[in-house]
Amino acid sequence: MAVLGYLANGLVFSSIIVLGSIGLSLVYSIADFANFAHGDTMTVGAYAALVTFGAVGGLGGAVLGLPYGFFVALAAGIAVAAVAAVATEKLVYEPLDTDSIGLLITSIGIAFVYRGVLQIGFGADFTRFDVQALRPIASLLPYGVRVTLHDVAIVASAVVLVVGLHLLLQYTDLGRKMRAMADNPELARVSGIRTKRVKLWTWVIGAGLAGAGGVFLGLFNQLAPRMGFNLLLVIFAAVILGGIGSVYGAMAGGFLIGMINQLTPLFSDVVEALPIWPGWLEAALESLVSIEYANAIAFVIMVVVLLVRPNGIAGEAAT
Amino acid sequence: MSPLGDPRGAPSGLTRSEELVLGVSAAFLLFLLVAMLTGALGPTYFLFLVGLAGMYALLSLGLNAQWGFTGLINFSVAAFFGIGAYGTALMTASGSPIAGGLSPLAGLAVALVAAFALALLIGIPTLRLRADYLAIASLGLAEVVRLIALNERWLTNGSAGVRGIPGFFRGWPVLSTFPDAMPGLRIEVIPGSPVILETAFWQASLNVLLVLAFAGVAYAVLRRAHRSPWGRVLRTIRSDEDLARALGKHTYSFKMQSFVLGSLIMALAGVFYAHLNLYVGPGDLDPITTFYAWVAVILGGSGSNRGALFGGVVIVAIREGTRFLNDVALPIDPAPLRLLLIGVVIVAVMRYRPQGVLPPQRELIWPRAVGGSGTPETPDSGVRERKGGGGDE
Repeated sequence: MAVLGYLANGLVFSSIIVLGSIGLSLVYSIADFANFAHGDTMTVGAYAALVTFGAVGGLGGAVLGLPYGFFVALAAGIAVAAVAAVATEKLVYEPLDTDSIGLLITSIGIAFVYRGVLQIGFGADFTRFDVQALRPIASLLPYGVRVTLHDVAIVASAVVLVVGLHLLLQYTDLGRKMRAMADNPELARVSGIRTKRVKLWTWVIGAGLAGAGGVFLGLFNQLAPRMGFNLLLVIFAAVILGGIGSVYGAMAGGFLIGMINQLTPLFSDVVEALPIWPGWLEAALESLVSIEYANAIAFVIMVVVLLVRPNGIAGEAAT
Repeated sequence: MSPLGDPRGAPSGLTRSEELVLGVSAAFLLFLLVAMLTGALGPTYFLFLVGLAGMYALLSLGLNAQWGFTGLINFSVAAFFGIGAYGTALMTASGSPIAGGLSPLAGLAVALVAAFALALLIGIPTLRLRADYLAIASLGLAEVVRLIALNERWLTNGSAGVRGIPGFFRGWPVLSTFPDAMPGLRIEVIPGSPVILETAFWQASLNVLLVLAFAGVAYAVLRRAHRSPWGRVLRTIRSDEDLARALGKHTYSFKMQSFVLGSLIMALAGVFYAHLNLYVGPGDLDPITTFYAWVAVILGGSGSNRGALFGGVVIVAIREGTRFLNDVALPIDPAPLRLLLIGVVIVAVMRYRPQGVLPPQRELIWPRAVGGSGTPETPDSGVRERKGGGGDE
């Protein structure tokens, strides 16, 4: 069945979106603005991993079709993205005396700076990680599922990171402080939480996850300076669908948007099969529900959610 | 934002930033004139730049009507620019997949109607949203418009774009033949490097005339609107929407009016661009156009129409300056350098001068209300002189 194949692809793509959307949502709730540089933070992570991987090489053995060196590169990607975000917070956002709209506009400038620097350094062309492309796992092929070991590695790593974040938020001191701050920053500060420090950790975690997402996106597709910016709106759609500020909502939203994105061919099959009357409506739907409009569908869902249920599917639930 | 807040804002003299802008503009104009006379800058290309500056100024004026007046964070500038360009291109171009061959005036009308419809389509759902949601939603909807332009081949010719767009003055009584009728001129200021004015030059000067007309009308309308009671309501909404509502204003309807007004001006910029570039493709709907307009407005000063004009000129300086730099000095690809510069300008303005270079101070008051003469308009004439200077050559 083709359905299983689409679902499997959706799962892989969802993992990347989830990694991006968690960070965006965390920053949205704790730093209190829509960070338009988040997509480009992913790109920064991806290119940092590319450079690191080129420098350290494979380092011998391999897990899930990925050499050890790739995991070093992944760690480097996470670290560089986090450092870039913290530096930006310290140098740009923190000294700014402005409201959340001013920060939003500034973050667009930051996004362009990241992308401009990367593009000057690496050119605008597509590149790939220097890992061997794998064939789809043979035992799954009869079910119509075409995933490689790399895809499995992406999903597994994403699950590890997400579970780690869950443990951090629920069971550590920092997690409790972050949740308190997301809930009510003023109250958090008067109860003695060092909000600046928590904010910095938020940037580290959010940008680190984005960096990981960027590395996986590069592994899943290719690397290009525009890759993060192109994904940014899809990630926003996921965050809004999940409910801004809710990390678990962002996970759910990321999962749903990723799935919907990859299931679009299936939807177009369904639309074709359904007897829709009148004929012009069917024709219009057939042309609009197609792979070219996979992102557009996510954006439209985003606007509808904003209108109908601005708190997202997770509702008012706390972080 | 208070019009009387700045003590230097006395109506008799110029503020320091106004003097600065005037000085920079004059120096820039002088530089361009020298470059042109020595033959380093072709006069036709110079006029093309002036046209482009006018186009960005129009875009910025449109955005200013939305963000500067009412505080609407519209990130779908590129969509309105694109629908203006596509609207006229599809009506007039020989390569149009649907109509084609119509008069550019019909194209202008269709473009404006299409932009009006799109403004309602985007505005009705999004203008009720909180400011930051409006930003995200409008950027998303602009992407939807771009994807439609890219994929609906029967309508827009897809990624190939629309070719064969005529000049705006085709079919007009005198102006359509004006460039061919004008004699070629040869001006030799510096011996050995003559400046030659030919058909292309006259064509370009017609384009400049067109954009000056568009920008002049838009500027006059906006300036009048900004000072009117209507404009005052918009400014109230911008600073405190709840207050405006408490005063009994139907804020949603005011926001919609300012959104539509701005969108129509952006579409005008698109119409001009189509007849300047003679080609329109889906790449013209790239979000970067939106952010060019944003940079121009923020840099010029949100809410300031003169600032928007100034911002338009700066954008062209960045766009063409990077290309020039690449040709002459540093072999850096101009596209990423442009991105970097745009980013740095946004961050620097937000950090060091969030009110912009030419914040709206006396622009908001009727000159006679403070008993002064017409001096507040001096910087405008600075910009106009610069533009007019090219046309007089």
